Amino acid sequence: MRLDRVWLQDVRSYATADIELSPRLTVLLGDNGEGKTNVLEAIGWLATLASFRGAPTESMIRQGANSAIIRAEGEREGRALLIETELVFSGRNRVLLNRQPLKRARDLLGVLRVTVFAPDDLDLVKGGPAGRRRYLDEALVASHPRYDALQSEVDKVLKQRNALLKGAQGRLQEEAAFTLDVWDAKLVESGGRLAEARQHLLDRLHPLLAQTYDAVANRPAEVTARYVADWADAGLAQALVTSRRDDVRRGVSTTGPHRDDIDLRIGGLPARTHASQGEQRSLALALRLAAHHVITDVTGSAPVLLLDDVFSELDPDRSDALLENLPVGQTLLTSASGLPPKATPDRILIVRDGRITLG
Amino acid sequence: MTSVYAKPVQELIDELGRLPGVGPKSAQRIAFHLLKVEKGDALRLATAIIEAKDRVTFCQRCFNIAEGGMCALCADDRRDPTILCVVEEPRDIVAVEKTQEYQGRYHVLQGAISPIDGVGPEQLRIRELLARIDGESVQEVILCTNPNLEGEATAMYLSRLLRGLVPKVTRIASGLPVGGDLEYADELTLGRALEGRREVDG
Ligand SMILES: [Zn+2]
Repeated sequence: MRLDRVWLQDVRSYATADIELSPRLTVLLGDNGEGKTNVLEAIGWLATLASFRGAPTESMIRQGANSAIIRAEGEREGRALLIETELVFSGRNRVLLNRQPLKRARDLLGVLRVTVFAPDDLDLVKGGPAGRRRYLDEALVASHPRYDALQSEVDKVLKQRNALLKGAQGRLQEEAAFTLDVWDAKLVESGGRLAEARQHLLDRLHPLLAQTYDAVANRPAEVTARYVADWADAGLAQALVTSRRDDVRRGVSTTGPHRDDIDLRIGGLPARTHASQGEQRSLALALRLAAHHVITDVTGSAPVLLLDDVFSELDPDRSDALLENLPVGQTLLTSASGLPPKATPDRILIVRDGRITLG
Repeated sequence: MTSVYAKPVQELIDELGRLPGVGPKSAQRIAFHLLKVEKGDALRLATAIIEAKDRVTFCQRCFNIAEGGMCALCADDRRDPTILCVVEEPRDIVAVEKTQEYQGRYHVLQGAISPIDGVGPEQLRIRELLARIDGESVQEVILCTNPNLEGEATAMYLSRLLRGLVPKVTRIASGLPVGGDLEYADELTLGRALEGRREVDG
């Protein structure tokens, strides 16, 4: 999977931009606020139909314009790839794949794959469990798209179960209890499968995580990642029986895969509370890179790696180490602080005043 | 809050807004459309609603759509009364009938269990199903609810409820598009799913 050329029209800060990319490493240099990240965001949108900044798609349309166009040309599985999209304020975004209009924009999902590392990813380590579950779930879908259906089934089961619990208003009638049994069985079935898949994925990520952390951290340390489910010992079926009273009283599902977490440790200590900001950032980067390796391995082709502002908290040695250890495939990287001493990118682009020029 | 519209207009908007799938905005649009069209056109709609309500009812036995007390399928005594196919909606009967694989009778639940929509077992025609099983010496119940989450949950609920009450409870075989609706399955697929039904133990 590779992108050779990206055209933007009315995307954020760009009236137009025509960007040629190296098949290996392309670096976008420029001061903060010049619009380096906008390029990565646009490419990311083609992969996920969403901004990795969490911004609404409409906000990617340049001020004063009616629509934005992102066009990307490259190669996928040995064949030419051309993605053309028009983002609009309201109504459907139009998507063409190899000049064929797609019925639904969603059909584009999975065509282009990206791995994104952005400064916000510090939350993977520092933030709550939801971000870590999302990390696992996204990596699951990227490596096996069928998990998308399983994840939405688990979500739906939980919504139904919670609606029933809420409706009970603290007191479960016999009839409702019998219905709750059914939703419990559904949650055990699909939730159990999801947790098992996450667990397997984490087992695979674990050795890679330790390896990549050593490459990008200032000080090597033992890194561990363990899947934590408070229901694991009893089993989900029994745990739901035990927690039923609590669930009814509080009107929500208090246990299940939607409450699980990854316990991340550096040198035996919880990374969330005991690691320095630098260590946390290295660990977040290592998590993304480890997932990138697994997805490459499972699917047989490397996603495009988008590293936003990755050097800002790595010292020059670690920055060099990161570049030396870049995974196979294509990487785009932004930096506001220049390049580390030994860097030899294949292509340098300068971003300034809404224009992109060859450096 | 006092309405900005004259009372009859507001009443029309309110009534339309009660229809499934019609939000307040659409209700307003339809109301103003009806006010604009020829009187004869609007009256035809009103008459059609009255006609349908007067002449079409739900079958008192299976809750299929019927003209008069009982639907054509329940009135047909060539059909095997010992097998009941349980479906969510009358339109699902049409889908099963198209397969020409089924000679038994039906029972329409008029929905599926979905707490989000405030639908529990007591909102469905389950009490009536139990009464029929008791009174009509039913030998087999085929759970033919939609192959989506709510349909599966309803099937599981019924299979547990009917355990011991009917000699045989079966579920249509998988192979139907998951997450879909019965009415969209083609005849051949649905026919095969009926044929390949399996006994369930919930
Ligand atoms: Zn009938």
